Amino acid sequence: MEGMAVAMRDVRVRFGSVQALESISLAVAPGTILGIIGPSGAGKTTAIRVLTGAVHPDTGEVRVLGDDPKRFHRATRERIGYMPQLFVLYPELTARENVNVIGSLFGLLWRRRHKRVREVLQLVDLWDARDRRASQLSGGMQRRLELACAMVHDPQLLILDEPTAGIDPLLRQSIWQELRRLREEGRTLLITTQYVGEAEYCDAVALISEGRLVALSTPDELRRKALGGDVLEVETAEPVDLRRLPRIPGVSEVRVRGARDLLFVADEAGAATPLIIEALERAGAEVTTSREYRPSFDEVFALLVERHRAQFGPSGAGA
Amino acid sequence: MILLTIAKSLTRIFSQARKELLQVTRRPAAFASLILGPFLLMALFGAGFTGVRAPLTTVLVIPPELDLPRDAQFYQDLSGPALRIVGIADRADEALASLDARDLDLVVIAPADATQALREGRQAEITVAFDEIDPALDTYDRVLAYNLSQAVNKEIITRAVQEGEAYALAQLEGQGDLTQIPPEVIAAPTRANTVNQSPVTPSIVHFFAPAILALILQHMAVTMSALSLVRERLSGTMELFRVSPATSMELLAGKYIGFAVISAIIATAIVLLVVYGLGTPMLGSPLALAAILALVVFASLGLGLLISVIADSERQAVQLALLVLLASVFFSGIVLPVQDFRVPVQVLSYVLPVTHGITLLQNVMLRGEIGDVWQIAVLGVEGLILFILTALLLRRQLHQSVRG
Repeated sequence: MEGMAVAMRDVRVRFGSVQALESISLAVAPGTILGIIGPSGAGKTTAIRVLTGAVHPDTGEVRVLGDDPKRFHRATRERIGYMPQLFVLYPELTARENVNVIGSLFGLLWRRRHKRVREVLQLVDLWDARDRRASQLSGGMQRRLELACAMVHDPQLLILDEPTAGIDPLLRQSIWQELRRLREEGRTLLITTQYVGEAEYCDAVALISEGRLVALSTPDELRRKALGGDVLEVETAEPVDLRRLPRIPGVSEVRVRGARDLLFVADEAGAATPLIIEALERAGAEVTTSREYRPSFDEVFALLVERHRAQFGPSGAGA
Repeated sequence: MILLTIAKSLTRIFSQARKELLQVTRRPAAFASLILGPFLLMALFGAGFTGVRAPLTTVLVIPPELDLPRDAQFYQDLSGPALRIVGIADRADEALASLDARDLDLVVIAPADATQALREGRQAEITVAFDEIDPALDTYDRVLAYNLSQAVNKEIITRAVQEGEAYALAQLEGQGDLTQIPPEVIAAPTRANTVNQSPVTPSIVHFFAPAILALILQHMAVTMSALSLVRERLSGTMELFRVSPATSMELLAGKYIGFAVISAIIATAIVLLVVYGLGTPMLGSPLALAAILALVVFASLGLGLLISVIADSERQAVQLALLVLLASVFFSGIVLPVQDFRVPVQVLSYVLPVTHGITLLQNVMLRGEIGDVWQIAVLGVEGLILFILTALLLRRQLHQSVRG
């Protein structure tokens, strides 16, 4: 746990008969983006709330910026930015006033606050709407306003619960650009998202399902885990007779998608590609195209969750 | 470092206060009802309350055999404006039937044997019949009956003395001087000369205006603040407070300041209406008045914020605020004197800020003095206790684990 911006060790949380989190352990190094992804009700928000101190774990150890969230120091709190899942701003106040209130709450003094309010509102593209009341903003604009509030005090650690929910794809791109820029500045970001594709933008992804940590890896590593290795997609001019295909070194599995469309699962795609082409030609099939197969993260996570359910049963951690 | 901590703390407090102010002022309808509602209530009270009870419609029953005047105006002059004598009847049956039908308020039946009884040295009985379920009106009617019987007694004695003196003068004619005492002096040898040493002439409106001011201020402060933390909790902003470095004391202090500013605006408007609109005297120091109002608001906000921290929904907060209002109407002394309640109930009375507010405001406005200083101390201590208690409860809420 030493040196980590965020660490959880063997954390368990139970709400009545529901095991919300079951033995979660993870560590996030400073300056990285950890995406927490999982189906609805998987325990993502509970995990976030454990990190903010709103939920106290039944067992396990948690450290956020070196502090136990149950007893955060004031200085530590000033270094955390938090965006809850639900819209929690003041509807009667304007966009600028809302950011101002939150900036003050986190201890920003007037001069710096004035500057930061402008900066973050420009960043989330709300500067022109700064004098509109929060209640008059669209759902996407409200979400961006909340994001501005979470960032206004320039926190070291940003905990964002579904920051891009309800925001159009173009703006999502620009928000992720900003989040990555913050990461470049050395900040740590913990982000839950319902858009599985956004896992691509993260340095590491924690997949949570039914309260359990299914996987914790880089996005590429997760793909490999889901598929069992690198996958090469090959199309041939003629149908392939698999019985004539010799065993290929480094290839663990061949999946047939069509008569002339095959998937080869290999330890390492680069090394296996020439061997696969050679083997197919020997089997009498000319390769027309070959490329590395990159399944969508939806597919990756579906595979991982299915595998997890097969391993632990449909109720996962269960009650 | 300490200066920076203080600066940050003040920033949090005043930003909360500003937020509360903006939230109230941005809801024009709510703000108008907060300001205009109490203002109109006070104006309606001042303009609408006459303080004069409608005279009771009365019929006198005077048996024909009695040698008493049968002119209604004669008895109207005797009874004064509290009764409206609408007729003189010979027999009681018809008048009592009208009383049953609620066409009459009062039937006064003179005794048929009045002269006989007097001659025999007995008291004759005047019967006053009424039909009243309100205990206050029952007492009022009894007092009127007593006063009427006294007036009739006086009239009988006056007439008897007149007759006696006329007889004596006839017998003593030419035999010397007779000191003549007026019959009405014999009938009523003494009369009361009342002197009210109060610095103001009592008036129902002026007496109740400070009481209603205190009640309105308490109710407004309790209602406004009772909803505050409940809304923060229900909207989810409490989740941000949990993560933020703001303490429960800072959050509460901000709310107190915000609501206090709003209360000050409303209190000023109502005081101006009471003094310049209703003409209620303001004999004491404006500074003392401001201090008392500030203490009433301070204690009332504490009560409201305590409700806010324990209520789990807006509905419950409103219900509790209404309970405080009901308790205030019954036990604060605005309707019934606090001293008329048993001691344990008086404790409840003195827990309500309005109880002290009423006495202190009436004293400072109508007597020009603060009066019972202990009541000022009670308001201050109660406000402080409520502030600390609410801050502790809020602190616990901010730190305890959310379940589910």
